[in-house]
Amino acid sequence: MLTTLSVLGLAATLVPFVCALVIAVCPQHMAKWICIFAAAVSTACALFAWIGLGIDGGVTQTLDIAAVGDALVVGFIFDKMSVMLATAFVGIGLLIAIYSVGYMNAGNREHPDAPRRRFYAFFTVFIGAMAGLVYSNTLVTQLVFFEITGACSWALIGYYHTATAQKSAMKALILTHIGALGLYVAVCLLFAQTGTFEVSALAGLDNGWKTAVLVCIIIAAWAKSAQLPFYMWLPSAMEAPTPVSAYLHGASMVKVGVAVLARALASAGVIPESVGWVIVIGAIVTMLFSFLMYLPQKDMKRLLAFSTISQLSYIFLGFGFYVFGSQLAFDGGVMHIFNHAFAKTLFFLVAGCFSYVLGTRMLPNIKGVIKKYPLLGVAFGCAALAIAGCPPFNGFFSKFAIFGGSFQAAQGNWLLMLIVIVGLLETVACFAWFLKWMGQVLPGEPSPTVEAGVAVPKQMTAVFVVLIIMTVASSFIAAAWIG
Amino acid sequence: MDLLLISVFVSVVGAVLSLLLSKKEDTAKKVACFFGTIASAIAVIAGVGAVLDPAGVSVSFATPFSFADFSIMLNGLNGLLLVAINILGFAAWIYGISYFDEYTGMGLGAIGFFMNAFIASMNLVLTVDNAFWFLVFFELMSLSSYFLVIIEQKPASIRGGFLYLVMAHIGFMGIMIGFLIMAAQTGSFEFATFRAHDFGPILGSVCFVLAFVGFGCKAGMFPFHSWLPQAHPAAPSNVSALMSGGMIKIGVFGIVKVGLDLLAATGVQLWWGLLILVIGALSSVLGVAYALGEHDIKKLLAYHSVENIGIILLGVGIGFMGLALNQPVIAGLALMAGLYHVLNHAMFKGLLFLGAGSVLYTTGSRNMEIMGGLVHAMPVTAMCFLIGSLAISAIPPLNGFVSEWFIYQSMFSIAGVATVAVKFFVAFAAVSLAITGALAVTCFVKAYGVTFLGSPRSEAAKQAREVPAPMRFGMVVLAVICVLLGIGAPWVAPVMQGVAASILSASTVVVAEGATLVNPVLGSAISTPLVAILLIACVLLPMAAKQVLAHGGEASDRDPWACGYALDPGMPVIATTFATEVKHFLRPIYAARTAVVAKKDAFVSGFNALVRGAGKAEGFADKYLVDTVASFVSWLGQKAQRIEGGNFRVYIVYIVAALVFFLVLAVLVK
Amino acid sequence: MEIIVAILQALLLVLLAPLFSGTSRWLRAKMHTRRGPSIFQDYYDIAKLFKRQDVHPACSSFVHTWMPAIFLGTMLLLAMGIPMFTAASPIPLLGDIILVLYLLALTRFFFSLSAIDSGDAYAGHGGVRELIVGVLVEPSMMLALFVMGLTCGTTSIAVMGQSVADLSVAAPVGVIVAAIAFFLACYVELGKLPFDLAEAEQELQEGPLSEYSGPSLAMAKMALSMKQTIIIAWFIAIFLPWGAATELTVPAILLGILFFLIKMAVIFFLCSVFENVVSRVRYKLVGRQTWCIVALAAFAFVLCALGL
Repeated sequence: MLTTLSVLGLAATLVPFVCALVIAVCPQHMAKWICIFAAAVSTACALFAWIGLGIDGGVTQTLDIAAVGDALVVGFIFDKMSVMLATAFVGIGLLIAIYSVGYMNAGNREHPDAPRRRFYAFFTVFIGAMAGLVYSNTLVTQLVFFEITGACSWALIGYYHTATAQKSAMKALILTHIGALGLYVAVCLLFAQTGTFEVSALAGLDNGWKTAVLVCIIIAAWAKSAQLPFYMWLPSAMEAPTPVSAYLHGASMVKVGVAVLARALASAGVIPESVGWVIVIGAIVTMLFSFLMYLPQKDMKRLLAFSTISQLSYIFLGFGFYVFGSQLAFDGGVMHIFNHAFAKTLFFLVAGCFSYVLGTRMLPNIKGVIKKYPLLGVAFGCAALAIAGCPPFNGFFSKFAIFGGSFQAAQGNWLLMLIVIVGLLETVACFAWFLKWMGQVLPGEPSPTVEAGVAVPKQMTAVFVVLIIMTVASSFIAAAWIG
Repeated sequence: MDLLLISVFVSVVGAVLSLLLSKKEDTAKKVACFFGTIASAIAVIAGVGAVLDPAGVSVSFATPFSFADFSIMLNGLNGLLLVAINILGFAAWIYGISYFDEYTGMGLGAIGFFMNAFIASMNLVLTVDNAFWFLVFFELMSLSSYFLVIIEQKPASIRGGFLYLVMAHIGFMGIMIGFLIMAAQTGSFEFATFRAHDFGPILGSVCFVLAFVGFGCKAGMFPFHSWLPQAHPAAPSNVSALMSGGMIKIGVFGIVKVGLDLLAATGVQLWWGLLILVIGALSSVLGVAYALGEHDIKKLLAYHSVENIGIILLGVGIGFMGLALNQPVIAGLALMAGLYHVLNHAMFKGLLFLGAGSVLYTTGSRNMEIMGGLVHAMPVTAMCFLIGSLAISAIPPLNGFVSEWFIYQSMFSIAGVATVAVKFFVAFAAVSLAITGALAVTCFVKAYGVTFLGSPRSEAAKQAREVPAPMRFGMVVLAVICVLLGIGAPWVAPVMQGVAASILSASTVVVAEGATLVNPVLGSAISTPLVAILLIACVLLPMAAKQVLAHGGEASDRDPWACGYALDPGMPVIATTFATEVKHFLRPIYAARTAVVAKKDAFVSGFNALVRGAGKAEGFADKYLVDTVASFVSWLGQKAQRIEGGNFRVYIVYIVAALVFFLVLAVLVK
Repeated sequence: MEIIVAILQALLLVLLAPLFSGTSRWLRAKMHTRRGPSIFQDYYDIAKLFKRQDVHPACSSFVHTWMPAIFLGTMLLLAMGIPMFTAASPIPLLGDIILVLYLLALTRFFFSLSAIDSGDAYAGHGGVRELIVGVLVEPSMMLALFVMGLTCGTTSIAVMGQSVADLSVAAPVGVIVAAIAFFLACYVELGKLPFDLAEAEQELQEGPLSEYSGPSLAMAKMALSMKQTIIIAWFIAIFLPWGAATELTVPAILLGILFFLIKMAVIFFLCSVFENVVSRVRYKLVGRQTWCIVALAAFAFVLCALGL
């Protein structure tokens, strides 16, 4: 049944693919405009789909696209979670596409370049793939888009063609592909047991098979979201151009893992507790490890990479506690996907701006930013406080929901309670660390590096303003929509 | 209630306008001060209304967050704190009209924005009735004041601000965990449900201790006080007044709110009161002892805030003990004493900080060592600072003495009905309060004498002039209030008692009759108006007698005696003199601090070792997992390459072998 | 009637304080086998000073000018409140131990402040020492008073005195030890040798009063003598209340005055004898003595708490 909503969703997914083909054959100077056009259309469609679902009262709609016999192979689902996340991911894609107009040119002091078609083509494909993944209703569809995102990531990480870049790209591809094996196995198991590929069929499995399928999905999620033991590719992926880092490795590709897991958990009915333990223990170990890895980082992008890992582990923690009985923790996790996307994008784009205007991303050399670049300083501050989880920024509200829900679910079990408390302590440590860097980078007299900096391009300024507003507003939007 | 919301709205408008006008600093300053003054005035009226009628009004709004409604409640306790904080705000804003000129070029628009946000969030923290929103505004309060602390952007301010916000966040985390425990038990984040629920002794104690530590970090009590002397001096002086006089009181407010209000159904336990008492005693003595060692006038005042929080906690602690020992009258008396001291301290500490700000404004320095002789150039500031010093030293008949008298009375009263063990604690507390009083006198003779009296010890001090009218107005308002709260105590104390009674949900206790203050338990009575009148009469009498009887005339133009030498500017007593003497007699207290600071170096080197370790560990995953596997795969590939020898005859053997193999397989399978 | 008693007390103390200090001087002279001045010497000194010029250093301010009046005024106030001839306090609202303690703090505040105000190094040091002595003595005073407050169930001097007079205190041994501790603390507060720290003639040349002359010095000296008298009177009112008038009739009051003078004379005599056989304590070591007094007061408290 092809409703307006499903048409919009399909458009949001397919228009970027078509435009990417166009980019491949168009003249170089048109590439970025086509990309922006594709992203804008996709965003508009996703946004209207969201509004449409809201007008319909939030009732879930599905779209079956391809079936083999009784088995649904390709299908889309439009529910509260998918319309919200899809709009976020493609919307951020649009913002970053605009940003990249200002970044990918010869004025870039760290990586002078030109706006190549290769970059924009893969970027546009990626935007479409993200929408498709979030809307997916079957494990096969998820797997297809999962692998597409992996391929785009390989192409974009290795974009600068240096030896380390190519090695990092390969590492990313292989590690996430190993994770994808989990999804392959899950597809097979699900089909063998239920005869269909739909995610909702998970609810019908018995406990043993359900655990097996979910653990396979968890492994895929861990690999894609850079959790232990698959995290190694993310810090190395910082070889990519910063808009790519912001989009793929801050806002969306790493969210593929949690999105897939969220869809699976939401559709799986009653989940055995062992699954919850796996998720929670993985999350807390990753959280602690990634915090320790913050400490020696001097390169801003690597610091943000580890920060992404740790923020994702909060989301995993929320999902784990959902298994132990807390809907609030699940909602918090989904809200955090939404909020963190904006906050981390902003932070990465600030790092990119540093590369562009100062020629370096090394934090010890950057001081006194607020005096020379007030808007950039405010952007840095807002992003840092949002990641640190300080109200009124968005990070606090979703973290509170995660930990509040986890707390409720952990009642009576001392080990779970201990894990929640350790998580809370880690948030304090994370807060202190980001506050320290904020205090070193923003105030005071500008360092020589900053003094010698050039002007910030207009496109970047516009994108920063939008993102700063979103770092405050997004939690309210998400809470109103989900809660 | 409406007035409170209007006040918050006005603050927000002021904040936003001030930020938008950042380019025109003078206009931004005037706009911020204008809106801020009005917002504070409205909030004072709202607070006074709530204090006089402490029954409690509440209202609730829906929010995007399904688990937390935005409920506001105005009752006696938060009304009192609203009054204290917003009177300070009022004085601080008017003071700021001239004082902020010091900060031109440092972002007056930002200062206006953050200060308005700060006061608005403090007002909301006091009044929200929902745990989630309480936490939100608590952090907002800390965040906005952080930016005010680092406004000068010097390394010392940034360090101070960092320590401050991290400590505030740790406190916040403690409070959050406590509230989460309570919410998990009751299923909702509304304070109303917490109030009605009995958590049981163990869980109640856990929540109380978490709240005590969390709010104690915010209040700056020992041993969580180290951020106060680093953060308060860095902020602009009127902001320091607000932080010291207002914000740390929110810590005390939290302890009272959780212990007596939210855990009301659970019941107060005796050891809670003893814990508060001991920490209060230690804070008061250590705070004032360390204050004596300071030469920076604002750092000295910051340490005094630690001391006064200790004194407030003494009163609150005895209130808790009174409740636990089933002595509602003593509990009411003690709690009233603590709350009265909250108001008093807000007033005189605010006054002292504004005075210090005036000195800073006119001399450009906070170092007492290079001042002196300012009393001649700045008579109004000097008189106001003197009133503040007398008030904080608890000199009758000013307000500090009244609250300390009530605290002593509650100590004497509770010692009469307590067990032997508890008597020891109370005696320890009484002795601590006495030592604190004497040390405070010493400290303020030093602060006032070294700064204002004697001869000027530097060019800056010689060039000092009286401060502009708005600054004088701010100081005079607070000085007058200090005097009125002291002399008018017989009329203010019953109102305070009404607030305390409403918190304890008990009947009011008689604390004043006519123009006297009474302790209903022991029957002691004093009268501050009487003391004031008689003191003035007894002082004027000898002066008049002197004028009549003296025949010798007056001479006021000699230098002081210096053993026949010409007077050297290095001769008179300065701050170092006091510090050396006191450090000699209170050696153990200072040695304890040095020992703790030495531990900090061990901690820092441990941390650096951790960072180095993490740096090395960073490469492990790549080295041992990824590279090992990749090199193994390469090696495997190299070895496998041998199959492709290049010799086509070997390939033909492969093909034939494969054919034979599959033929055999087909035959066998069939 | 009480007002008259109050004013009478104040006047009497003003008039008699120089007599007590004069007698002290005469006694010291006799112990040094000198002839010594007449016991009325202090009166002659005060009269002489009133004829002299009133001097204030150039850098000083209103604090220096007003200190003697504030000091003397506070002493008058205290004299009106502490029960001396009568068992009941003449103005009960002024007879609270906390109020008395903090009014003494008021005098100490201005005394030391004027020392700093004068800009004189010797005066300044004397002022600092005065404050330090206050810090060291407060704990023992408060602890001893706490014992009394606990046993008598009040903070009013008159009621405490009456409990002691009736011998109806709950912990008699504790009260006796507290009395000793309080007396020692008061002795330190008196500023007589060996605790003559603020004035310390040999070291500090009269200490905080260095820069005073004329009528101001006269008032300050009077106030200092009054302070010594009042502190002893405070001790007597709490711990040696026998003989004070229980009704407000003229014969009872006269008898009360008589007993008061006898008690004061005895104690002053003992103090004077003691002060003339010792030298000044070393300033840096005064902590040892005062902490011993605190220990004694703590012991009194333990006894009181245990009900002995």
